[in-house]
Amino acid sequence: MNDPRYCGNPDILMSYLYEDGDEPERHAFEAHLQSCERCATDAAGLRAVRDDLAAWTPPETVLDFRVVRNPAPAPSRWAWLTLPPMPAWAQLAAASLVVGVAVGLSGLEIQYDRQGLVVRTGWSKPAAARTADASAAAKPADADAPWRADLVAAQEQLRNEWRQTLPVSTTTGQGEVSPIGGGKAMSDGEYMARVRQLIEASETRQERELALRLTQVVRDMENQRRADMTRVANGLGVLEGRTGAAVAQQREMMNYLVRVSQKQQ
Amino acid sequence: MTVTDEELVARSIAGDTESFNQLILRWERPIYALAYRQIGREEDARDIVQDAFLRAFRALPGFKGEAKFSSWLYRITLNLCRDFMRRARRAPFAPTPEGVDVENVASAQTSAAESIEDVVTRQDLSRHVARAMGTLPEEQRSAILLKEYHGLTFQEIAELQGCPLSTVKTRLYQGLTMLRRELDRRGTGPARAGGSRTP
Repeated sequence: MNDPRYCGNPDILMSYLYEDGDEPERHAFEAHLQSCERCATDAAGLRAVRDDLAAWTPPETVLDFRVVRNPAPAPSRWAWLTLPPMPAWAQLAAASLVVGVAVGLSGLEIQYDRQGLVVRTGWSKPAAARTADASAAAKPADADAPWRADLVAAQEQLRNEWRQTLPVSTTTGQGEVSPIGGGKAMSDGEYMARVRQLIEASETRQERELALRLTQVVRDMENQRRADMTRVANGLGVLEGRTGAAVAQQREMMNYLVRVSQKQQ
Repeated sequence: MTVTDEELVARSIAGDTESFNQLILRWERPIYALAYRQIGREEDARDIVQDAFLRAFRALPGFKGEAKFSSWLYRITLNLCRDFMRRARRAPFAPTPEGVDVENVASAQTSAAESIEDVVTRQDLSRHVARAMGTLPEEQRSAILLKEYHGLTFQEIAELQGCPLSTVKTRLYQGLTMLRRELDRRGTGPARAGGSRTP
């Protein structure tokens, strides 16, 4: 039954759908829905959309925002030394001055001849003389260094510790195995047994790992299969729905045509 | 006893940063959800949440408490989302890939009772809804988001959108009707595929 107060009135329909507003008004609209098929279909359709909306969830994410108030930096004791900002030309002039003074103090010498380009300061000597001087001066200084004895002792200590901790063994001439750093000797049989034991442990570990991976793969495949089947079933359902709707529409049209033709006869 | 938003806001204005952090903790999820549903990109939504709280913190001394803190925060977020979409000239939603990721499906199972089939159906529906929402005009989408997912009253939405209450209801009605048409066109969901639903 068409009622202009309710039919096509979004205000009342929304209030009813979201349970907002006066209760008597909502009851009155509910009573109207019993008699008006159009409004009832509209309300049911929008309710179904609301149900669908509930399925839309944002992806999980890590949110860890915090406001941190940094204390204002304390003024430096040397703040008075800070120069005010200078223009670019002044900075360039100052830089040139510094470079000029540095070149003058160092007694820079630039030479370009058959041997190529040589740049030398006034304090440095030619390379050959410098290396000869350096090797002559370094040897006695190095030998007489007071830390040399400490260095040798530390090296010796490190070597000893390394020998004690080294697990690699060497085979002696009598078919026995002795660790490098000394310790209890091991026969060939014991050594082989130990190796076999290690190999067995490794195989067991690998088998376990393989079984775990296989289980995981099987589970993933099963999940994938079920997911694909669900998608296929949903797709088929959609198609069936569309086909059904089209058939119903055609049937309705045929009925209408039959009715019209009967009336004309 | 739970401290109210108003109390936390007052303390934050007085200089207590920790109170504002409590407000963040309380509201970051809803704000993220709103931003994500508006723009459809996780990373961008996170950036918007961060920006929204930063703006709120800076503007806190000017917050008079005429509206609820959450409404104020929603308004800031929606403005940021609008700016983002205008700046980037992007469509409101970036569709997620079609395929099924088994690991995702396994992790998306909310309970042991939910089967793989349920999860896949839910994810498909979620994707269709997201796409359909992306086709709506911004005002309609915002109205639906604020009403459906954040439970704001019609009056609160009207104040937030700066329009009369009847306009909000009309936007909701038009938005839901467009969604219904769009979802029907896509034939989404088993109930839809089988025909109409009971109310």
